[in-house]
Amino acid sequence: MASTNPEQEKDSIPFYPDHVRTEFYVVIGIMVLVIIFGILGTLHPLGLQAPADSLDTPLHVKPEWYFLALYQLLKYIPPQVLGIDGPVFGVVAILLFVLAVVFWPFLDIKEDTKKAMRIRSIVIIIGVIILIAMTIWGEVS
Amino acid sequence: MNNNVRKSLFFSLVVVLVSGVILVAMTLHARAMTSADADPSSLPSTKAATTGSTSLEVPPPKQEPCLSCHISGQDKNLWTPVGRWAIFGTFGLIFVFGIYRSASVWTQRKPWVPLTARVVDWLDKRYTLREPMAKVLSKPVPKFALRWWYCLGGITAFLFVVQAITGIMLAFYYKPTAAEAYASIQFIETQVRFGSAIRMIHSWSANGMIIMCTAHMLRVFIMGAYKAPRELNWLSGAFLLVLTLVFGFTGYLLPWDQRAYWATTVGTDIAGAVPAVGSLVLVMLRVGWDVSEATLGRFYGLHIIVTPLLTVTFMLAHFIMIRRLGVKKPL
Repeated sequence: MASTNPEQEKDSIPFYPDHVRTEFYVVIGIMVLVIIFGILGTLHPLGLQAPADSLDTPLHVKPEWYFLALYQLLKYIPPQVLGIDGPVFGVVAILLFVLAVVFWPFLDIKEDTKKAMRIRSIVIIIGVIILIAMTIWGEVS
Repeated sequence: MNNNVRKSLFFSLVVVLVSGVILVAMTLHARAMTSADADPSSLPSTKAATTGSTSLEVPPPKQEPCLSCHISGQDKNLWTPVGRWAIFGTFGLIFVFGIYRSASVWTQRKPWVPLTARVVDWLDKRYTLREPMAKVLSKPVPKFALRWWYCLGGITAFLFVVQAITGIMLAFYYKPTAAEAYASIQFIETQVRFGSAIRMIHSWSANGMIIMCTAHMLRVFIMGAYKAPRELNWLSGAFLLVLTLVFGFTGYLLPWDQRAYWATTVGTDIAGAVPAVGSLVLVMLRVGWDVSEATLGRFYGLHIIVTPLLTVTFMLAHFIMIRRLGVKKPL
């Protein structure tokens, strides 16, 4: 049943019941948050805007918040980049970025080091700051 | 008295007791229901009639079923028999179980085997589950995986479960047509019991799922957990993030209000700017050149059938691969 290797025993816990119990605590915490949102929903329903009307374009058209940074990038891209149409360049750049992210493990095949990890952390922190800034800019503009 | 006779006697005793309990409960139930029907003061219509000017008016015997009354919980009688059966049925079952347990210990002269152990034995005898299950359950989890940043992926999975449950609840009342979508959301918000709470949970869990999914991805990226041999873990995870975004994008249109309509217009416009395939993607997403009722139907189908199926498939693959390879040891 349980592992008999003493070394393994020392730095690991069994999946059941120890790890399942920790997961259960996390689930309880999330459940509490969910119920709080449910109570908020009964007190102040989410509500709706006016019904959809294809003839009445609102002044500020915005996508969902998680696409705002992307939308902002496409909105303020110059009309001509490197001789290509601006929005097309932007969309292709984003698509290439997504493809690179998806296939990143096949591009970055070197042995991992502490230094590489530090570089990745810095890149992520800068990227997240830019993303949040762009989102806030899209939200207030 | 040999063992077979003892057993059959014991069995008939149990049958008589169970049927007696059921009979008593049914009689009580029937009496309660008939007295509630016969009692004129319990009907609201007769109350109105007696206080009104025409006291000779005969009350209607049975009212028309009213959907909104049922949903808003005005038909209080609906839950009464269920509650009665739940409470008294539980007591009855405990009572019968106690008699069965004492009698079987007495007849068999053997210590009592718990019911859970019996169920496990029954299943194990047929499917030999005990050994593989023990292997699965006792798999050691490294202690470094107990830090909070290792549970982001698990939270995403749990939020997906929340989304599935609340989404099914909303789908009971939602109507994916241009004429009725808006009104059905209003109905959910105002008439359905807990409707606004469920809609709020569905909306905010969607946002939470995107945040948690991204955070999990960043954690994996920083720690280098995507490196060999875990490339396919990363690949399936990246697909799952894309699917989560598709969930958000398609779900945003469904309320069919101004915000939803124009956000979808803008979003599909971006897809249309892709060279070569853009126009095709645009037409396939909108089912035509404009966002219309057909778009609503397509997004509804994508949101409740296609994307969930793909997500569940990729999630299972993701989990199985993690189990096979284990959590990556940090540097």
